[in-house]
Amino acid sequence: MTVAATSTGVYVYGIVRADELPAVSAEGVAGMQVELIEHDGLAAVASRLPAEFKVKRRDLNRHLQVLEEAFGETTVVPCPFGTVMVSDADVETALLSDRRRELEAALKRLDGMVQLNVKAVYDEAELLRELLAGHPEVARLRESTARLGDAAYYERVRLGELVAGLVEDRRRADADRLVSALAEAAADIRYDDVGELDALKASFLVNRKDLGRFDARLEEVAPALQPVARIEVIGPLPPTAFAGEGRGV
Amino acid sequence: MAIATQGTANNYLQRAPSPSGLADVLDVILDKGLVIDAYVRVSVIGIEVLTIDARIVIASVDTYLRFAEAVNRLDLAQTETAGIDELRNGGSSGKKKTEGAVEGAKEKIPGLGSSDKERSR
Repeated sequence: MTVAATSTGVYVYGIVRADELPAVSAEGVAGMQVELIEHDGLAAVASRLPAEFKVKRRDLNRHLQVLEEAFGETTVVPCPFGTVMVSDADVETALLSDRRRELEAALKRLDGMVQLNVKAVYDEAELLRELLAGHPEVARLRESTARLGDAAYYERVRLGELVAGLVEDRRRADADRLVSALAEAAADIRYDDVGELDALKASFLVNRKDLGRFDARLEEVAPALQPVARIEVIGPLPPTAFAGEGRGV
Repeated sequence: MAIATQGTANNYLQRAPSPSGLADVLDVILDKGLVIDAYVRVSVIGIEVLTIDARIVIASVDTYLRFAEAVNRLDLAQTETAGIDELRNGGSSGKKKTEGAVEGAKEKIPGLGSSDKERSR
């Protein structure tokens, strides 16, 4: 999209304590240089935004890379992709000054913390095979729909409805199992909406000193989901899901 | 996640230090973080959002029919290898996911394609 041509704007990546981050070398959104806008002990990691600007895919990576570099140095309160303020003065007053208390509390809360994104993904064929083996009604409907072919519309809907329900039950059970295994090593959890074939998608806030324990928990619980689901873990990431109280816009 | 697609049947736990695929990057930075009264919110427009997982309404006939079809085409004789190929190729489920994805992205960002300018309060 094109940002209003009347202003260049200030793109904000996140907030750090002013004395803890000397500079960021990673290229910013739109290829701009990353700067620190300081105010009374706090600093916004920011860059200029050109008047005519179209988001490119690499801008998403740039946003993340800037956050990751800052996160590698110190505690950072991340902002969502695409946050643009009017001017440096606006950043200083409306953000760093007016919300100082909240920002300081967030920085304190996130000190020493990392985010791990955990996704458990079903193998559809394995999942369905297991449901088929465990539920005679599914097997019976499978046979009758195969036999009747196109004439079996309502039977097929019934089969699908039955399977969808069983998948949902299974998802709930697997998500519970995973969360209860991992929660013990985590400080906080945020859940994301799951796709049709995901058992769980969640971000875990983990203290660096508990990373080993979290990993051990993963190793313990992952084999139990085999071969129906596999687990993907991404991180340690900057704690983007835990910066604010609620979820984004 | 690129690493994930290289998985084998035994690769039930995959780790990556940083997201590599677009969907995983978006999971981390889109709508996540401190919300501030911004002058504008730069939207992710014109970007091919191919693989965002979107919430799919389970209770729809389409979903039922898709599940029924998936159950019907299950080859009971096959064991481990089938699942992996299906995951790798995306299969029809992957396609569905992609369709939902683009819609999901649109839902997330109202005013796609237009300049959505939010005046700061």
